[in-house]
Parts: sequence; C-alpha cells; structure tokens
Amino acid sequence: MTLAVLFPLLMAAVCGLLARPLGRRSGYLAALGFVPALLLAVPLAGNSVEAGGTPLAQVTNWVPELGLNFAFRGDGFSLLFAVLIGVIGALASLYSVAYLSPHERFGRFYPYLLLFGGSMLGLVLSDNLIALFGFWEMTSVTSFLLIGLWHTRSEARDGAIKAFLVSALGGLGLLAAVALLSVAGGSTLLSELDLEAVRASPLFVPALLLTLLAALTKSAQLPFHLWLPTAMEAPTPVSAFLHSATMVKAGVVLVAKFGLIFGSSPLWSGIIVPLGVATMFWGSWRALKQTDLKALLAFSTVSQLGLLMALYGLADAEGRFAATTHLLNHAAFKAALFFVVGIIDHETGTRETFRLSGLRRKLPLTFVVAGLATLSMAGLPPLGGFISKELFYEAMLHAGPGFIAVAVIGSALTLAYCARLIRIFFGDFRAPEDDGGRLLKSEIHEAGPGLLLPPALLAGAALLFGVLPASAEWLARRAGTALGFAGYEGHLELWHGVTPALLLTLLTWGLAALLVWQTARVYFLQVHLEFPVSSNRIYRGLLIGLETLASRLIAGTQGLALPDQLRITLAAAGLMGGYAVWRAPQVFQPLEGVPLSTLPIAVLLVAGALGVLLSRNRLTAVVLTGLTGFGSAVAFLAMRAPDLALTQLLIEAVTVILFLLVFRSLPGFRSLPRGRTRQIIDVGLAGAAGIGTTLLILASLRFLSPPISPYYLENAYKGGGGKNVVNVLLVDFRGWDTLGEVMVVAMVALAVGSLVRLGRRGEARSENDTAPTLPDLLDLQERRP
Amino acid sequence: MSPKRSSTKRAKQAVRTVPDRPRPGDLLINDPILKTISRAAFALVLLFALLLLWRGHNAPGGGFIAGLMTVCALILHRIANGDSALRVDPVKFIPWGLALSFITGLVPYLLGRPFLKSDYGYLTTALTGEFEWATALLFDLGVYLVVVGAGLALAYALIEVKPTELVEGDG
Repeated sequence: MTLAVLFPLLMAAVCGLLARPLGRRSGYLAALGFVPALLLAVPLAGNSVEAGGTPLAQVTNWVPELGLNFAFRGDGFSLLFAVLIGVIGALASLYSVAYLSPHERFGRFYPYLLLFGGSMLGLVLSDNLIALFGFWEMTSVTSFLLIGLWHTRSEARDGAIKAFLVSALGGLGLLAAVALLSVAGGSTLLSELDLEAVRASPLFVPALLLTLLAALTKSAQLPFHLWLPTAMEAPTPVSAFLHSATMVKAGVVLVAKFGLIFGSSPLWSGIIVPLGVATMFWGSWRALKQTDLKALLAFSTVSQLGLLMALYGLADAEGRFAATTHLLNHAAFKAALFFVVGIIDHETGTRETFRLSGLRRKLPLTFVVAGLATLSMAGLPPLGGFISKELFYEAMLHAGPGFIAVAVIGSALTLAYCARLIRIFFGDFRAPEDDGGRLLKSEIHEAGPGLLLPPALLAGAALLFGVLPASAEWLARRAGTALGFAGYEGHLELWHGVTPALLLTLLTWGLAALLVWQTARVYFLQVHLEFPVSSNRIYRGLLIGLETLASRLIAGTQGLALPDQLRITLAAAGLMGGYAVWRAPQVFQPLEGVPLSTLPIAVLLVAGALGVLLSRNRLTAVVLTGLTGFGSAVAFLAMRAPDLALTQLLIEAVTVILFLLVFRSLPGFRSLPRGRTRQIIDVGLAGAAGIGTTLLILASLRFLSPPISPYYLENAYKGGGGKNVVNVLLVDFRGWDTLGEVMVVAMVALAVGSLVRLGRRGEARSENDTAPTLPDLLDLQERRP
Repeated sequence: MSPKRSSTKRAKQAVRTVPDRPRPGDLLINDPILKTISRAAFALVLLFALLLLWRGHNAPGGGFIAGLMTVCALILHRIANGDSALRVDPVKFIPWGLALSFITGLVPYLLGRPFLKSDYGYLTTALTGEFEWATALLFDLGVYLVVVGAGLALAYALIEVKPTELVEGDG
C-alpha cells in the first residue's frame, strides 16, 4: 500500500523529467504510475476483507514521538476506493494521451495528475489522522495546479483560486478536527481511537462540526458548492478524474469513515442529510439550466454528491450500503460522461447544447457509450443507476416525508437534464457553427480508440452493474465490514416487487416527462427566477472585504515613516523590560559571575554606540557600528567562548562590508527637522528600550533553570564524537535547527538578489508574469452563469 | 528663511548624476598595493577557512565560520581585482549545499535511525596517524556551501548596483 501511494509520486518525478523527449507519450508512464493501486484489487478480492479479517496495515515511521507516522490501513472500503482511483486515474491518463494537443506542457500535466492521484490514494488509505490531513491538503494544492493548468486563461486562474480557497478553508477545519479527535480519543490512529472516550468528551461536538466543515467544502455541498462548476476549467480528463473518483469524493470518504465515530450523534445526520438532499435538488436544478455540456455535468456532480452525502449521513447500515453502491455507479457513469463530452468537444469543436444535434449519425459509437452512461445517471433500468436510485428512495422513506418530496423532485430534474444531454444525439444532424455562422469543424468523424475505449469500459461497467446486480453487490459488500454494514441483509436487484420505492420511481418518471414536455417553459422560469442570495456573491463580498481589511492594515502599520516605526519598536522593547521588572523585581540583586575584565569592553561598546549618534557621515557611522560588534566579539572572548567570538567577528566583518556596499548608493545624511519635545521623547524612548532590553536579558538569565549546558557538555563527545561542544550541538543535537537556519540564509540571499535586480530598470518585468487583479476576477465571476 | 533656501539650493547642486567621477567602490579596484597584498591574503584566508571547516568538530570552527571567512576572502579578491575569483555563479552553491546537508540527514533516516543522526569513527593511516571521521563534516560542508553562496550572492548583487546619484558628504 505504501508502494501504491509512493509510486505515483515517484512516477510524477519521472514523468516530469521525461516529458520533453516523450511528449504526450509520457501519458503511458503516468498510467503505469497507477498500476500499484490497481494491484490492490488482489487483497480486495480476498475473502478476509469481507469476513472482517485483519485488514492490511503498514506503518512507516516519520515522527513517532508526535504520533506522526505514515500508517496505511487497507480495510475493504479504503481498498475499494483506492482501486477506483487507480482505474479512473489510469483511464484518464490513457485518454489524455489522445485528447491533449501535442503542444501541451506535458512536463506539468502528468506530474500534477500523478501527484494528485497519489495524494488521493494516501488520503483514502491513511490511518494516521495527521497524515490524512496532510494528504487532504495535498489534494487541495494539486487540484489547484490542475485546474489552473491553462493559467494563461483568466477563467482557469479564477477557478483554481476559488477551488483552493474554499477547500483550504475546509482543510483548516479538518486540521482542528483531527487535533481534537486525537486528544479526545487518545491516539492519532483512526483505527485505535477510543470511541467511547470521544463520544463522552466535551470536544465531541466541535470536532464533529469541524469535520463537517471539511467534508462539506471538499464535496461542494450547498453553501460551498460554488467552486465545483468553475473547476471545470481544468482539462477534460482531469475533470473526469476530479468529479468521479477523487477530489470531490474526498468529502464523501470523510463522511463515510468518520460516520462511524460521529454517526451516533443526531447532530451528524441532522446536518448532513438535509444539506445533502438540498444540494441534490439545487445541483440538478442548476444543471438543467446549463447549455454547456461540461457545466451541466459539473452541476450534476454537485447534485449526485448531495445524494451520496445524504445516504452516508444517515449513518445506518442501509444508507451506507446504498451509498457505496451509488459511489461505484456514479464513478462509472460520471467519468464515462466526462470522457464523452471530451470526445464531442474534440470532434465538433463545441460543447454548447444548442449548437449540437443529430450526432448519433456522425458518432454512432460515442452515442452508444453516452446513451448507456446517461441512462445510468438518469436512474433508468436496466442500469446500475436505477438500482442505486431505488435504494436511495428506500433510505429516504425512513428519513421523512419532506426528504422524499425533495428527493423525488431532484431525481425528476436529474432525468430532465439527462434528457437535455442525450438530445444532442437525436434529430437531424446540423454541422455546428460559431456565432458568425462559420463551421466549427469542416468534417466530423468518429473518435479513435484512444478516446473511445476508456468511456466504453466505464459505460460497460455501468451496464454490468445494472444487468448483473450481483457484481455491484459483490463489490459494495467488500466495504461492508469497514463501514459497519456487513450484517445488512439487503440485496441489489432490478426488480424487487411493487414497493413504495417503485411507486416513487413511477412518480419521478411522470414528473420528469412533464418537465421534458414543458422544456421551454421550465427554461423560461429558470432564467427569470433569480435567487437573491448566491454563494458566489457572498464569496465575492468576502474577497473584497478581505482585500480592504488587508490594505487598511498595511496602511495603518507599514505606511508609517521610518522614525515612527522605530519609535514603536523601541517603545515595545522598553515596555517588555518594564514588564520583566514588574514581574520579577529580584533581577536587581547584584549579579555574580561577571568578570571585571569586561568593564573596559563595555566602555568601548558604549563609546562606539555614542559615536554613531554623533557621526555626520555614513561611512563613519558604519565603522562605528562595526566597533560595537567587534566589541561584543571581544566580550565573548573574555567569557571564554572562542567559537561565538569568531562567528561574531566574521559576521561583523561581512556586515560592515555589505553595509558599505549598500550605503555607497544612498544619498548622504540629512538631519530631520525635529522639535525639542520630539528630541526628548526620542532620547527617552531609546533609553527605555536599552534599559528594557538589558533587564529582559538579565531576567531571562535568571529564570532559565535548570541550565541545559551541562547535558551538552556531558554528552557532546559521547553522542556526537566531537570535542567542540558548540559544533556538535549545531550539526548533531540541533541539526534540524541548523538546517532550517541555513535555509533562511539561502532565502535571504535569493530575496535580496531579486530585490536588487528589481531596482534596475527594465529587468525582471515581463508581460506574461502579471497576475490578474482583483477587479478582473470579480468581473469574471459576474459574467459566470 | 534664507539659510533654508540656500541649503536646498546647495543640495540641488550636489545631487547630480556622475558618469565621470570614479565611484567609491572603484577607488580600490586595481590599486597596486591592495592587489599585491590581496593575492597572498586571499590564499591564506582561504586556507585558514578550510582548516576551520576541517577541525570544526573538535576545535573552534565549523561550516558557518569557514563559509563567512571564505566570503570575506572572495570579496577581497573581487574588490582588489574587479572580477570574481569563481568561474560559476555563487548562487548555484546554495541548492547544492542544501541538498548535501539534507541528504546527510536523510541517509541515517533511511537506515532506520533518527533524521540527521551523525556517525563517527576512527581511522588510522600511515600518513595522518589516528584520525577521526564524522558524517557531521559533510553536513557542515553543506552549511559551508550555503553560506558561501548566500554571502557572495548578496555581496556581488550589491557591488553591481550602480549608484545613480551622489550627494555631498558621501565618498
């Protein structure tokens, strides 16, 4: 399992390196990256998973002291999902070989795709809560990169930023939830949480709410659904991957897995089920309005995710069984449909429903594939979607009449948008034209096998799930033990007698027929029915608010003149010293242990500092500042710290040189016009800061107890094998710190380097580098449907 | 009123672009005395820096100090001779140094010990007698490279800044 997660990440590097020589063929390598995930099907098929035997577990230590490890746990549900990711990831890679233009930047596309797939695999397989959070955030970041792949288009940038902001918000929620859970449950391993303790803990409700925030944002549930439709700016194979098996399903995975912890609380289903059903209704309502096929599918995903959420949110065996079945069905038909839309886009040059008609004649094979997948999405027999829709109704029957009504309406709308989708294949063929009446493509012909095979396989699966329900049931049952529905008796069947669910289905069909019959009126209603509150408007408002707040904050703190900023800093130092004295008056006791020989050094230091004040020339000032530094070095020597003294000496030398180099290009001293009172205030501030800092240092000297130096003196030679304790400390005991500090040094050098270069006119300015401004982004959202 | 005006006037006269006058940094370039001395000093300082790096584990020294000293030597060379003693861009040292330090840390981790755990041992050869080797030296070497790269990058970037105006009281 570790291999399954690591391999895509590894292949990402390989693909990145080989992208230039291989071009689009690196897609085959990418598909190879998902092979270990596919191999997980072997343990999945084994009997132990269903019978509830010990799941596979692999632990790789990371920071064991903090309970932070890579613990992968392959129970039935995780493995099922991992295989799903593997299948669709591999298919998406193969599909995109044929789909993308040969001039695409493959050096980015496939690595991003693999990184994304790998982090998603890590997310579903991870048993460690903190690693789970890490993978969760990785999916956010990589999906940001994928959605924004065509970053020269402002829509893509906008979509990527929106997706990232929303899902990162949820990510923060997850981080907090994970922390609370591990505190309350006494373990960072999901499988070892003490559920009794968690339920009894006062942290239960906050953890529940935060987890929900994460799940709802990631899976685009109602208040947070806004990012998903704009995420369709990603290349189509990515959308297929994103919408069917990964990113958006991450929230569903979270609800499914954490439902075992939180499901007992009425709050859990009380929030998820209404929101899920409402999302289902809203998504299908909006989907019906779309004329762009991809947007239609995107809203359809929102709707279907609502359905899944509602089912898992019920947190009973029946709901979980139904949801797992639908999870499989949805993955199959949604990926297939995205692939089909990709084909249509590729072959005809447009995705607008009103430009397309009669495609059946030109693209017969695509028609068959699309037909199967659409039937499944619409929930019509004899496809998998029908079965899972029946199960959904069954489950909703227990939830309450209000839910049934919304569910039926939502399903009818689903049927209606499916009809709109499939309609492009019927009627007379008309070659699609653009707005000016010119043909988009001179000739339209069937797609090649590279484009057709992936959706055909998936549509075949959708058909199989319907015709042979036992296959879907066998698969869904694999997750039974992990999700707590192993004992559930229900079976998947196409025909299970005249049940209330069947009657509801008939009602749905009636409603849908009405909707299709009155298409024009429904569309009129949709266009003219504007809701006063839209989450897009709220998002925009928040973005503007944040911008304003930030600029005010900057203007209030950074806009001050340099002397004013200095005054604030100095006053703070003085106050801190005062606070130290107030809290610990005993620092005024005479200090022992300071040798008298340091006195002349102190005099030297003070003289240097005063000299800086009196100097009227930059050069003199720099050299005198250096004097205080060199003086400190001498002081260190007097205190028998040669290493420190040497460092101080050299740092001082380099600093003086750098200062001189900088000051060379600065104008000369100009004395600032200051009044007498100002001068007195400044002197007072400077004195207070000096005294305050001194007191603070003295206070910290006194209260650092017990000192840690004896430990190092004792262990430096034993543990690190060096006689120079300082050096052993730096390279061994606190090696991490040193590494971090070295990185800081590197960053500073790079930052200063680019700053200096920026100062030179005409350099480091490129038209392509300009980021979109906020008004641009807002304007774009305004125009979005 | 009048002194104020005269002072601004003077400042205006003083602020001017200076293509003809040598810049303060130029004054020392190709100065024969500095050039001669710098040659010897450069070698000595560099050698001493390497010595500091080498013995850092047991006596005062270490990668950071050695790096700073090397930077000093190279800046001296640059100021005295007007060109860099290195044939490569010093910025390139930074990633190599970081990588070296990181990998020295990673190796013990992959061998199942804590990240950055250092190892050491003793080797006796005819030439050096008993002598201690420590993986910490490699880590220190990484630190050294980063410090050299960063320090030089800073210094060179600043040396190349061309002052556009000079005001009275400078240089």
